[in-house]
Amino acid sequence: MTLVAVRDDGPALLDGYRAAVGEGPLRTLAALARRLRGHRVVMVNSTATGGGVAEILHRLVRLMNELGVPTTWEVMPGDTRFYGITKTIHNTLHGWPGALSEEDREYFHEVNRRAATSLALDGDLVLIHDPQPAALVVHRRQPGQHWVWRCHIDLSRAQPDVWGFLSPIVSGYDAAVFSHVSFVPPLDLPAYLVPPSIDPLADKNRELTPEEQEALLSPLDLPVRKAWVTQISRFDRIKDPLGVLEAFILARKREDAHLILAGGSADDDPEGAEVLAEVQERVGKRTDVSLLLLPPDAHLTINALQRRSSVVLQKSLREGFALTVSEALWKRRAVVASAVGGIPLQILHERTGLLVGSVQGCAYQVTRLLRSPDLRKRLGVEGRQHVRHNFLHPREARDYLAIFARLVEAAGA
Amino acid sequence: MASDVKGFELHSVVHLVRPAGARARNLESLRLWIAEATAATLFYHTVQCPLRHPTSTELAPDDLSTWVHGVVQDRQTAERISFAVQSRAGSPADLREALLEVLQSIPDKDRFSRAVPPESEFVFLTAESVPVLTGVVADGCDALVESLGAAEPGVWFFHLIEEPWYAPGPPTMARWARENGDAALAKVLEEEARAGRGLAEMRRRVLKRWRQGRLRARVAAATRASEDERREAAHEAVVGLVRRITHADEDEVRE
Repeated sequence: MTLVAVRDDGPALLDGYRAAVGEGPLRTLAALARRLRGHRVVMVNSTATGGGVAEILHRLVRLMNELGVPTTWEVMPGDTRFYGITKTIHNTLHGWPGALSEEDREYFHEVNRRAATSLALDGDLVLIHDPQPAALVVHRRQPGQHWVWRCHIDLSRAQPDVWGFLSPIVSGYDAAVFSHVSFVPPLDLPAYLVPPSIDPLADKNRELTPEEQEALLSPLDLPVRKAWVTQISRFDRIKDPLGVLEAFILARKREDAHLILAGGSADDDPEGAEVLAEVQERVGKRTDVSLLLLPPDAHLTINALQRRSSVVLQKSLREGFALTVSEALWKRRAVVASAVGGIPLQILHERTGLLVGSVQGCAYQVTRLLRSPDLRKRLGVEGRQHVRHNFLHPREARDYLAIFARLVEAAGA
Repeated sequence: MASDVKGFELHSVVHLVRPAGARARNLESLRLWIAEATAATLFYHTVQCPLRHPTSTELAPDDLSTWVHGVVQDRQTAERISFAVQSRAGSPADLREALLEVLQSIPDKDRFSRAVPPESEFVFLTAESVPVLTGVVADGCDALVESLGAAEPGVWFFHLIEEPWYAPGPPTMARWARENGDAALAKVLEEEARAGRGLAEMRRRVLKRWRQGRLRARVAAATRASEDERREAAHEAVVGLVRRITHADEDEVRE
């Protein structure tokens, strides 16, 4: 019931990734997979659809099976009460206020205890994603198994009380994996850094023909003769849409361009609606700014917007890893972004993009890029190579396989 | 570890990155942690950087000088660190000594003065190397160079940069070439391994120097050959040239 049937939407992933990254990285993947012959992997997370983790798992599980490492994917079952508790855990680990009662803690363990009996956790390598199924290790670990906890959350602002509850649970793992060094809490087990990655074969990133781009963009009624400066992010204060607008207005005094702020609909997010209203008010009657509210499945539209933009911005005040940067770099775009979270790993200043720390700095770099097609091209070419080598799914799969190989070989030594 | 007179198996490498448990907030704490850092930590922040940008024609900057320049905003010290990494990265001990020389030469008050905010501290990381057998075994020096020509950057990095850095001395690949009678190839590999260039440039230069060496040997042999043999060799050379041009076109199309 809880085993996920991985989406099989086309030809072998290995062929697609070979075209994206070349033969060498796939040879390394195959060599690591050979070292795991005779082992079996089980992945566990909390949902089969929606969210970045589920998207990655659909690819990762299929890729590992194609490589000859038998891999299954289980989804943690739960009920409304459990999801309420895990939502509190998620929010408080991100630093928002909240607390867990004794009953919440006991119920969290109770659901994990029940799931430990119903899920097929019979692989010898178990990769648990995020906090919801974390306590399975307490209730189900068998001798000879290797358990790894993959935390996709930034724990740098975690509420001490809630982390204090999770920390002893995480201590039961053999290793933990985090996306960025600043996300890693004090731990008494090996912590590995595995940056997240984008899928070059997904709708959001695949190549689009000029005809496809035209068909996707023409309904948006955007000025086709102007250079586009684009930020694609939800309308959230930490994404600093007002700062983007201010920087654009400064740059616009020197160079003609059109600003596009594109994000998800804010209907179910009161604060998002408030931020959107502020941005709309600030835009007023300007005709050189477009605000786009895109549905959650507008991947192809986002792809086309990025490809058509002369400059892509990510002027956030705080970030997790900000894979939107890698998405733009993969499309050879010139990117201007703040040096926060995982962005400096993706943007190497003056090599793969431009880092900024202020509204004026952003305006200056946008103007500079609008005036220099050569600079845009040079950064775009280097940026794509940087993503090719460091931020595509095959690299993430390689890192997991290497961690597994390390664990099983250390145990056998 | 990979040397064997009967055959040389190419390895690639994966680096698993882990926090090293130390942070620097000014040049003094950077100095203190560099004095204590493991070889794997020094390796990750300096020697390993080119592997993150394997196709870059420029040498990738090291993490230490990038931080000193971009965050501490001490351009002169950053330049001197870059030079130390480029010129004295032959072994962990030599590199550590060179870095400490740079940092110790800064007046005390300057080492302490430019403290950065906590979110901008330099976080020391360490690289756990996982060597990966590629399954490609060269049974002679010509086959070795041919295999290298098709190999991914990780193979070049492992054999010509990482291995000699952790176990100073000629790369095992160069020793193997010498044991197999190709001293010229061994010399090229040793020199390029020590040169401190980026991976793409290293690859280009090794292959070019090896081809040039082969060309000289062929010219010398041709002077002793008959007219028919020379005509046949000329024909093969043209065929080879056409093939290389055609493959170069294919590479361009691919990217």
